Amino acid sequence: MDRTSVKIVVAGGFGTGKTTLVASVSEIPPLTTEEILTEASVGVDDLTGVEGKSTTTVALDFGRITISPDVVLYLFGTPGQDRFWFMWDELAQGAVGAIVLVDTRRLDASFPAVDYFERRGIPFVTAVNRFFGECAYTEEEIRGALELDPRTPLVWCDARDRPSSKLALITLVRHAMAKLTATAPA
Amino acid sequence: MTLETWDGDDESAAGRFVPLYVLVNGRTAPRDSTLDLATQVVALPVDTRRLEPEYVEIVHRCASWISVAEIGAYLHLPLAITKVMVDVLVEQGYLRVGIPAQQKIFDLHLLDSVLAGLERL
Repeated sequence: MDRTSVKIVVAGGFGTGKTTLVASVSEIPPLTTEEILTEASVGVDDLTGVEGKSTTTVALDFGRITISPDVVLYLFGTPGQDRFWFMWDELAQGAVGAIVLVDTRRLDASFPAVDYFERRGIPFVTAVNRFFGECAYTEEEIRGALELDPRTPLVWCDARDRPSSKLALITLVRHAMAKLTATAPA
Repeated sequence: MTLETWDGDDESAAGRFVPLYVLVNGRTAPRDSTLDLATQVVALPVDTRRLEPEYVEIVHRCASWISVAEIGAYLHLPLAITKVMVDVLVEQGYLRVGIPAQQKIFDLHLLDSVLAGLERL
């Protein structure tokens, strides 16, 4: 029997807990795979801080959940740095959708991720990571700050906690299914 | 007169002797563009004696279904190189490819099984 793989992207700004979330639900300790880039593949304007480097390395952390003998789910964390946007395209292509992690101390860090998935019509849920303590904002305030579509689910989570990460994943798959049903031709 | 002979050892103490781009013949993209990070491959029961050691290592990693990303992570190979090498092995009949993740529209049945699997976690 052929094996089918399914992808879910875990996005968010740098340090929002992406690898922590992957680790909490993955059946293997998160693995890291690397892509080596030459200068030519990196935007000239975005080379700040890497001047003089002929190559640079992007690390992707990922985990795995075996769904059934013939279906396996991979959770890919996005690279934190903005200059690796083009890697997101490969991760997002064919993915069920994305979980955008939000750190309430730095709401703006997750805005580019929200914008990315919204523009491409890729299903996503926002997961507000409570790892960092009590949240000073209401759901309405966070939705406003991130300019979230009212239909985009928002869940509260602790990325270290397996049931909590599991809930974020389930919310995403349900959302993707609802979106697929809504857009399917009659 | 001394004869310069090669003892057949590509791995010097200083590390890899053959650069990775030589192993992939200078190719930068897989022929099969549906190869994705998550695409599953598995080894076919074929004699690997004619393969370069780097390729044999990949085939050995594929004793059971494994993703392109996992091969790269375990063998410390950059992703672009892993994809090309996996593609070469598929082309030459050493590996079989599963159903790729790159499907634009998901069937509800697949999403349903993913949901059920997550609920069992």
